Amino acid sequence: MSAIGPGTTPATTTGVRAERAIAAGASAARVVIVGALLHVKQLSRSPFEIATAFIVPLVQATLAVYLFRAGTEPHLLLEAAVGAGLMGVWSSVLFGSGGAIQNQRWQGTLEMLMIAPRPAVLTLLPVTLANAVTGTYAMLGTLAWGWALYGITPDFRDPLGFVAAAAGCVAGLGMFGLLLAATFVLLRNANALTNTLEYPIWLVSGMLVPISALPGWTGPIAAVLPTTWGARAVREAAAGGPIWPSLAACLAIGAACLALGTLALVHVERRARVTATLALA
Amino acid sequence: MSRLIGLGGVIAYRALFNWTSPAMFTGTLLASPLFQLLFFAYLGRQLGVADDTFYIVGNAVLSASVACVFGGTMAVANERRFGTLGHVLLSPRSRTAIFLGRVLPYALNGLLVAAFTLSAGALLLGLRIPPGAVPGLLVVLAAGSLSCGFFGLTLGAIGLRFRDVWLVSNVATSLMLLLTGVNIPLNRLPAWMGALGDLLPITHAARAARALVSGQGAVPADLGAEAVVGLGYAVTAGVLLKVFEAESRRRASLDTL
Repeated sequence: MSAIGPGTTPATTTGVRAERAIAAGASAARVVIVGALLHVKQLSRSPFEIATAFIVPLVQATLAVYLFRAGTEPHLLLEAAVGAGLMGVWSSVLFGSGGAIQNQRWQGTLEMLMIAPRPAVLTLLPVTLANAVTGTYAMLGTLAWGWALYGITPDFRDPLGFVAAAAGCVAGLGMFGLLLAATFVLLRNANALTNTLEYPIWLVSGMLVPISALPGWTGPIAAVLPTTWGARAVREAAAGGPIWPSLAACLAIGAACLALGTLALVHVERRARVTATLALA
Repeated sequence: MSRLIGLGGVIAYRALFNWTSPAMFTGTLLASPLFQLLFFAYLGRQLGVADDTFYIVGNAVLSASVACVFGGTMAVANERRFGTLGHVLLSPRSRTAIFLGRVLPYALNGLLVAAFTLSAGALLLGLRIPPGAVPGLLVVLAAGSLSCGFFGLTLGAIGLRFRDVWLVSNVATSLMLLLTGVNIPLNRLPAWMGALGDLLPITHAARAARALVSGQGAVPADLGAEAVVGLGYAVTAGVLLKVFEAESRRRASLDTL
């Protein structure tokens, strides 16, 4: 680490600043990654979480397969399986984010997270990311189920693109989850919103129903949701199409959600500290 | 006995609002089933599986399931959660009657939810329900709701023995989406799935409701089948409650399982 003193040249000072910025970024990334791993481990200790994450997506996948078979487009079974997997990822993010702060409160760990010498966003983003990562099981489980039981070969047009799209979609949804978590903590009846938002997002994001089949007024709503673009990127990787623009849009909207979520968290934290209602807010 | 069943059920239902709220009621029981109906109606349209009537009526009947299945489960499981199970089981009155009585308000709740979902779905997607079919529909929806409530109570009784009763309820409601023929015509499912569906609540009620809306008139066979399924679950719940209560007393494991 370079020292800054009276004889330091501007070039050296800039170098030191860059060095510090890199170190701060690496440190923040470490907090997020280690935190996400910790929360994934914690989720993996809950029999309820594990069993729900295992069984419900498989039921949804079976439903999607039989629906597509019964319909006029049985050749789109791979898209059905991918769509059902995406639905599982969204459910995991939605319910995980809805309870992200509330669960910490119930466990008595919210105060610890808030007094950590780090911005609240760095300690809460891992919670929502962990839920998104856990949700990837829904995708993998659905594809494996479809392959084993219904002979749906995961024959993706762009296998590497699919992995990148799925990872980007999970990251985008995790960032969206932080905005939801921060917003939900401001609402006394957040659980009601959580229960309500599952089907509309499945529908409007085009996870199983093409957006073109929906009323026109849903278009602008779909356009600002990271789920729409993430789902599109994953579907394009599976069936063919330009993945990267959709993935970029998903991540850009996700980043905007992260910024908004950070602002909301700052507001929540300040309000809770001023009114001494962190455990009650 | 009627006071024990009626008033006891109403008090237990009122106690729900110790932790729930009107907003949660509206969001979870009214808005969510309506979105579910729209999701499957648009999906069905897109795939050409069936027409809007199939999905509107089927999902409206099914919409009672969340209120009734989870309500029936909560009738037992929440006693443990709030530490009052011991008090209920110490009661000198019939515990079976107490718990069966608790299903009634949830069934009424389910009927309200189903009627709302059917009306809202019909308005949004332009389904015309013949006025003459309305009384029959109410009977069918009530039968489906009651049947679901007893099914939930059976799951709740299992909660006296197993800790993760919510897992069972969540999986059960998911399976109802698949197996009751509400979203996929039963003849498009494998025979064993159809047979399982026949043993679940809602399957027969949905069929009866569709027949009524399409103008085929009363369908006593399906209504009777739904009643038999509901009665079967009521008896099963009563037996399980007795068996698991006795076992909990014998093993002194009432609140520890």
